[in-house]
Amino acid sequence: MNGEHGIEVVSLHKDYRVHRREAGLWNTIRSVFHRTYETVHAVRDLSFRIEPGERVGFLGPNGAGKTTTLKVLAGLLHPTSGSVRVAGHTPQLREYWFLKRITLVMGQKQQLIWDLPPVETFAQNRAIYDIERDTFERTMKELDDLLGIFAIASKPTRKLSLGERMKCELAAALLHRPEVLFLDEPTIGLDVSMQLAVRDFIRSYNERTGATTLLTSHYMDDVAALCPRVIVIDKGRLCYDGELRKLVQTVRPDKSIVLRYTERPDRVALERIGTVTECDNAKAVVRVPQHQVRDAVAHLLLDPNVHDLTIEDPPVEEVLRELFARTAEARL
Amino acid sequence: MSLTLGAQYRWDFLVQGALSVVWNALGIVPLYVALHGRPPVAGWSYEQVLVVVGWFTLLKAVLDGAINPSLTAVVDHIRKGTLDFVLMKPADAQFLVSTAKFEPWRVVDLVAGAGILVWAFHLMGVVPRAADVVVSTALLLVAVAVLYSIWIVVVAAAFWVVRLDNLSYLLSSLLDFGRWPVSIFKGFVRLLFTIVIPIALMTTYPAEALLGRLAFRTAALGIVGSLVFALVGRLVWTRAIGRYTSASS
Amino acid sequence: MLRRVKVLRAYPTLLRVGFAGAVAYRAEMLVWMLTMTMPLVSLALWSAVSAAAPVGRFGQRDFVAYFLATLVVRQLTGSWVVWELIQEIKSGALASRLLKPIHPLVAYSAENIAAIPMRALLAIPMAIIGIVSGGGKLPHDPPLVAALFLSLFAAWFITFCVMAMIGTLSFFMESSYSIFEIWLACFMLLSGYLLPLELFPEWVRRVTYALPFRYMLSFPVEILIGLASPAEIARGLLVQGSYCVGSCLAAIVVWRVGVRRFGAFGG
Repeated sequence: MNGEHGIEVVSLHKDYRVHRREAGLWNTIRSVFHRTYETVHAVRDLSFRIEPGERVGFLGPNGAGKTTTLKVLAGLLHPTSGSVRVAGHTPQLREYWFLKRITLVMGQKQQLIWDLPPVETFAQNRAIYDIERDTFERTMKELDDLLGIFAIASKPTRKLSLGERMKCELAAALLHRPEVLFLDEPTIGLDVSMQLAVRDFIRSYNERTGATTLLTSHYMDDVAALCPRVIVIDKGRLCYDGELRKLVQTVRPDKSIVLRYTERPDRVALERIGTVTECDNAKAVVRVPQHQVRDAVAHLLLDPNVHDLTIEDPPVEEVLRELFARTAEARL
Repeated sequence: MSLTLGAQYRWDFLVQGALSVVWNALGIVPLYVALHGRPPVAGWSYEQVLVVVGWFTLLKAVLDGAINPSLTAVVDHIRKGTLDFVLMKPADAQFLVSTAKFEPWRVVDLVAGAGILVWAFHLMGVVPRAADVVVSTALLLVAVAVLYSIWIVVVAAAFWVVRLDNLSYLLSSLLDFGRWPVSIFKGFVRLLFTIVIPIALMTTYPAEALLGRLAFRTAALGIVGSLVFALVGRLVWTRAIGRYTSASS
Repeated sequence: MLRRVKVLRAYPTLLRVGFAGAVAYRAEMLVWMLTMTMPLVSLALWSAVSAAAPVGRFGQRDFVAYFLATLVVRQLTGSWVVWELIQEIKSGALASRLLKPIHPLVAYSAENIAAIPMRALLAIPMAIIGIVSGGGKLPHDPPLVAALFLSLFAAWFITFCVMAMIGTLSFFMESSYSIFEIWLACFMLLSGYLLPLELFPEWVRRVTYALPFRYMLSFPVEILIGLASPAEIARGLLVQGSYCVGSCLAAIVVWRVGVRRFGAFGG
């Protein structure tokens, strides 16, 4: 793969016109003759750049514009203004060579033919993407190594379990060796072991092929495990673009120290060290700013009643919530 | 509840209403070309066949407006597995399932059917006797009951063969054979449509009653037959539900 | 240009997979075919009417031949792409198709064509038996048979393009189903589905010869049961050809506009 499969977005705007219809019979009749429209700014002035081979996570609350942005990058929507380049193409033109180099996996929707075995969908995709026989066989072998699809792909799709279906979906989406992967909620509805399997697969695929990977997910664990870099969007605007680790550190530079006691802890004493979020008979949790952690721990270990101490990062959800709250404040 | 949903789509109402008129007119065109101004066929003149067409239109309105939408809704429920919600409600499942959805614009079809009847009698220059009207209305209700029972049996079949999306079209297509009087058919087919799938019962008998030529015995037999049908329908339904709920998901 | 040729190389596979899908759906297909009872209902009427005396040049046996032929041709040339399009546009599944490097209409056409062998399997034997036992004669003259196949293909093609166009209108409105119903009503009346076009008054007949409906149904039927003279067949094929080109262009244009709208409004 040459280095041409990056993503570049400059000042992307995407607006929709939706018509408002209020409830009630009179409003319904009126709406037949006169419609009021409202403009929704789904994406506002979004700019970022992704280098070939990167794994990037897209985070944001519902309705933030993540899926819209993903669809614009895939060429399904065209921008209201701004420039978008994916793998050296303008997505909205939906050129043949562009479509050959990308793939979009949507967790909720599926492309496998329902009544036929997945092998038929594979054969169909192979024809559509015009893949040579030996390339195809090599790719299928690799996908089998990673996903184990040969064992399940000959049964009709409707007879497969959800996890097996997801594996075949991934195989069908990747058998043309795309250089850019868009993954929209790929692990939604899967059980924990399947989520781990999918995560491992995505990571391996990216490492093996160097494909640029863009992922949106509600499950923070997906993003935390897979994406060194995150782009955070809220209300259509860019909130943060950079390393996840740094985001955690910048926004909530507190760590939580979890202590387990043999006797009831002294809450007052703990409050002198940091913010006490939990305190009961045997357990206490203290939040302490990053730079004070070492001193705090040294101090706490002096207490003979402490028999266990762990230091935890704040959960990513809380970090994000904090980030959104701060940006909302900053905008007021 | 489903009426308000229908009322929301006022525009659809108008369009569908207009289409109803078009379809009904279309149904009469071949009849007009075939029979108008020609000698009667199998004992039926053009105007008399119009009476059958009028009843047919009324029955079709009930089928398309009330029965079929519910059928499609039930098949959908079964496929998506949401029939369980229906079964958990504290009312008779058969009743709930039957009143799931309506298409209110089929009212236009009802009006059209009545209009055709009025026009037919106007062409003939007679007015039907009151007694005849009563008998034929009773037979129409009987017809609806039979249709409903057939429908219940079809829905019960859907428990086993869930992939049939076009069941409602099948029922409509079968009813289409009731467009003409049953004496137009010959031999074996005629027997089929009188006894096995009593389409004759549904449209020809009410028409004959209205025209004053239905023997009392035939009318009585028809009513008894429909009761039998209704019983069979209910039996099939309860068996099917029994199997559905006892089978594990 | 080279890219378009490359994409067409995928067509045989699409046909094969489409055929597998049709076989998997055979129960539904059977039911769909059984719901097509309109010609038989019409036959019942005309058969009874012509028992006493022929109507026009149609005696009772001629009506049997006509309506059975109509049934078969309809089964072979019908297309359900309008339903598929409406469904997929509403559900958003069209997005998956748009991401593939093959035009969705091309993919649909493959699926539709692939279903024809299954339908033919059921329809053709029935038709042959019906027509022959009715005393009719099937065309066995090579140029006639060729004309028959050409007209059947053209009828299917025009039907497909028109159905695709109507389905595409769902990009612009809630559901183009009502437009489809209007079309269907016109089709039934003017294509020879309800009754032979010959039986209409002369001025109506002349109008139907200009409209596309005849070329979607009645024309192949006329060739099949020998109602058309060689001159009429030649003329008819030319008109069919132009409707093929016209409907294809119209479908492509409407599609392009529709997809652009899809891209602007979020699908």
